[in-house]
Amino acid sequence: MRMLPVLSRLAWRYLWRNHRRTIIMVGAIAVGAWAMIFMTALTRGMVDQMIRDGISVLPGHVQAHNPEFLDDPSVSNRIAMGDEELAGKFDAMDFRAWASRVRVPAVITSERESRGVTLLGVDPEAEEEFSFVSYEDVEGRFLETPDDKGVVIGRKLADKLDTEVGKRIVIMSQDPDNEIADRGFRVVGLFKANMAAFEESYVFVGKKTAQKMLRIGDTTTEIVFVGDDYRNVDPTYQRVSEAVAGKLKVSRWYEVDTYLGTMMKVMDGFVLIWVIVIFLALSFGLVNTLVMAVFERIREIGLMLALGMKPSSILGQIIIESMFLLAIGLGLGDILAFASVKPLESGIDISVVAEGMEMWGASSMLYPKLYWSDMVLANVVVLILGFLASLSPAWRASRYEPVEAITKVG
Amino acid sequence: MNIVLRLAWRNIWRQRRRTWLTTGAMVFSNTLLVFMISLQFGMYGLMIDNTLKVFSGHMQIQVPGYKDDQKIRQAVPNVVPLASGLRQQFRTDTIAARGWAFGLASSAERSYGIGIFGVEPTFEPEVSSIPGLIKEGRYLEDSDATDIVIGSVLARNLRVGIGDELTLLGSGRDGSFAAAVVNVVGIFESGVVDIDRNIAQLPLGLFQEVFYMEGAGHQVVINAANLDEATLLEPQIIEALPAGEDLVVHDWDALQPGLKQAIQADMSSAFFMYGILVILVAFSVLNTQLMSVLERTHEFGIVMSLGLKPGRLGRLVMLETAMMGMLGLILGAIAGALFTSWFMVNGLSIPGMEEMSAKFNLPPRVYPQVNIWSTLIGPVVVFLFTLLAAVYPALRLHRLHPVEAMRAN
Amino acid sequence: MNKPFLLILFLVALSPRVVADKHDATQIVRDAIDHWRGLSSYTEMTMVIHRPDWERSMTMRAWTKGQDQSLVRVTEPKKDRGNGTLIDDDSMWTFSPKINRVIKVPSSMMGQSWMGSDFSNKDITRADDIIDQYDHTILSREEVDDITVYEIQSIPHEDAAVVWGREVLKIRDDHVVLEHAFYDQDGELVKKLVSLEIADMGGRTIAKRQRMVKTEDPDEWTEIGVNDVEYEIDLKDSLFTLSNLRNPRNN
Repeated sequence: MRMLPVLSRLAWRYLWRNHRRTIIMVGAIAVGAWAMIFMTALTRGMVDQMIRDGISVLPGHVQAHNPEFLDDPSVSNRIAMGDEELAGKFDAMDFRAWASRVRVPAVITSERESRGVTLLGVDPEAEEEFSFVSYEDVEGRFLETPDDKGVVIGRKLADKLDTEVGKRIVIMSQDPDNEIADRGFRVVGLFKANMAAFEESYVFVGKKTAQKMLRIGDTTTEIVFVGDDYRNVDPTYQRVSEAVAGKLKVSRWYEVDTYLGTMMKVMDGFVLIWVIVIFLALSFGLVNTLVMAVFERIREIGLMLALGMKPSSILGQIIIESMFLLAIGLGLGDILAFASVKPLESGIDISVVAEGMEMWGASSMLYPKLYWSDMVLANVVVLILGFLASLSPAWRASRYEPVEAITKVG
Repeated sequence: MNIVLRLAWRNIWRQRRRTWLTTGAMVFSNTLLVFMISLQFGMYGLMIDNTLKVFSGHMQIQVPGYKDDQKIRQAVPNVVPLASGLRQQFRTDTIAARGWAFGLASSAERSYGIGIFGVEPTFEPEVSSIPGLIKEGRYLEDSDATDIVIGSVLARNLRVGIGDELTLLGSGRDGSFAAAVVNVVGIFESGVVDIDRNIAQLPLGLFQEVFYMEGAGHQVVINAANLDEATLLEPQIIEALPAGEDLVVHDWDALQPGLKQAIQADMSSAFFMYGILVILVAFSVLNTQLMSVLERTHEFGIVMSLGLKPGRLGRLVMLETAMMGMLGLILGAIAGALFTSWFMVNGLSIPGMEEMSAKFNLPPRVYPQVNIWSTLIGPVVVFLFTLLAAVYPALRLHRLHPVEAMRAN
Repeated sequence: MNKPFLLILFLVALSPRVVADKHDATQIVRDAIDHWRGLSSYTEMTMVIHRPDWERSMTMRAWTKGQDQSLVRVTEPKKDRGNGTLIDDDSMWTFSPKINRVIKVPSSMMGQSWMGSDFSNKDITRADDIIDQYDHTILSREEVDDITVYEIQSIPHEDAAVVWGREVLKIRDDHVVLEHAFYDQDGELVKKLVSLEIADMGGRTIAKRQRMVKTEDPDEWTEIGVNDVEYEIDLKDSLFTLSNLRNPRNN
């Protein structure tokens, strides 16, 4: 231990005397660290995106309904509390977003066609935060107020109905007494969605207009809550449950869409596999590098031993060298990772890469997401791994017979 | 050139340890590469099969226009003999006929508009996972019995259980009133609410009678062993269609339009990730090669002072590197293929998949697909990087002074 | 005389007729519907559904009372005998002896065709919507064989549950509807209900045969022919109940 400062200086000087080799090794470690961090960011981004897309359709992290509604989503199973009462309860609770909406099955008709759809009566402002429709991308315009008299439908549905912005269509559903409730609406906007199915099945009208058409006063059928983290919705769930005090069924997103919830677990499992594979590749590379480094120095080590250096000091020096290399490599890797992920967080367009190949025609955007915890974890893992990897060759090195070592022909 | 080759080979084996270390790195990395990409291919196969297995099958025979309009009059004539004829011709049971109509299902308490399918009880389980998802009661057995199976959510909404009666009301093929009273013999649960709420299945014989189909149906569903086989099967089915009938075969991409795009998008992103892995691997191999070449400066010095020109030496070094690279490529590809093949046979269970399988009747394991592509892509790229590794030191040799070199290390 | 005074006189003379024309248009339409239904009626009719490759014919009896109540019972062909439809205002119930149950038609099935014809369930229940949900104007009037024929344009109100851009009716001054045309919102003719034969029946001049044809598929049509009709008969309200719908032996 007394030798520590001396060994450190020796180690440092050694590294810089053989700067070419040092640079190569540092480079390898840096690339390894970069790969690990970048990959984690990428996979996180992928899972995030997939789940967020799924949740934006549900929508929300937590939902509340009349207990009968999830089985039979008709207007007779609506929420007994009106909008005023709900606002009184939930506005003060400071969720990231919440909204009540009318969601019922309906039939939409044009002059020549009719289709079964899901009618959504929404407050456009309240829903903007979590809607799967991007209001700016709507052809025409999206709804402006809950009283809006227009309807916004998907592009594909408009094509199927042979209608367009400016024309009228009729929406028909049922009121709580099972009487027909229908009304003409003018198409004011067409939206596009990732999945063709959404463009064909969802139809947006103003919430108050829907309530009037369905003769349900100011009640609705669904309340949506959005928190901060889709992986941790329990706090939101608790607060909503308390507020409704048993009168409504409160569900977490993965309870409503069990498929998506289970899919998330599978995706996480898949990510784990990728991480393990990167880890293995990295560790093998690291071990390989360090082992080779020691073997290439056999003569030199033999010389040092012959000159009187203690085996334990050899061990120490080699380990310290490795740690220096790791530290520098990690530092560089971190910087590289940061520099490459942050600017790309607004999206990587892989169509450029995919374009060249016939098999893959579709473009897609990747959104890597860098979490500090991931970065720290990667660094810690590499350090520990590197330390362990350097132990064996260092140990071996310290055990050399000086004479044998010196006379080994490189 | 022959001498150079033999020299290079001997040089490699003179330094057993170094060679094995370097090659070992490549073999290990290549195994990983082969495994990962095979796993990726296996995943796609799984994703597609999972979606198609539920209901739509790998392809369907329909009349043109039915897919978009779904009018009961757009019927496939003589659908049962057509299906059984194809089953015989292709010696498989995974072909089944269906009919479909939109109608009203009523229990004592409630009514709902649903999709009513007429299916062949013996063969429907071969093309769809729904018959295997019966939670209560049993699936359909006799093609003419007045039985019905419904989804669990529909059962709850209608407030019926096994043994209860349901009334079906709709419009027949000739426009007349279609009505029947049926018995609930089974309730299925697929986990997908839309299916469990909106679908009921009748035996095809009963369906044809109730809806006045006159022997016609609307679909013949065909499943192959896997996607590749499905692609081969499709043209054969098209040829086997009866002449003179206006029928068309839709492949799974036409039946499930979003699926292919979703997979392609996923594929591009996976390829990107794979690219990173390759970079990592290639870099570490590059590193090993570089180091080993640089460590031989002393040796090069001696050799050059003995008269070997830098150019020649450079070629020698490149050759050695290439040989080691080849070794790593071949051994790595083989090791990768063997390792992955074990999983191709036995399957890999990714955490989370058992839950998927239990809830949705999907396969619990993924089977990585080993093929020429997956075996070679990664290792070849690594090999190229290896060659690159030799370029720098080979160039450097030109600037090397033998005496200095001999003093190195 | 004062020029302005003349002008005012001129305008005053004109305006009532313009206003009268508007009122007249709505009145003409209302009168036509009242004429067809009467205060009450009993009709025996045949409906023919024609397609390029087949044709189907059904005989039916229908009772109507007031604006809102109707009962239809199929008598031929045998396999459809006893099927019935009851309409009360906007609601429709259906009955089939095969299942021996009365079922209310939900909104999701209102767009389905009625008895396989080119009329939808909604068409049948909403026939009188045309009066209140539209703005009617007389486009022209013609004299044909001493009968005045009004051509009336009906444009649905903005929120009306109507998909058409406009509808054009040709109505005679004896309240017979010669033609009812449906145009889409681009002005294209989509389908037309045409009276093919006019005769005196049950004490009134009515359209004996009417045919609904789609412009895009002229070989697909539905024709309704009146075989016998009686007006202003005494119909009990109990006729228009669900229990009566279920029991075909009474009628």
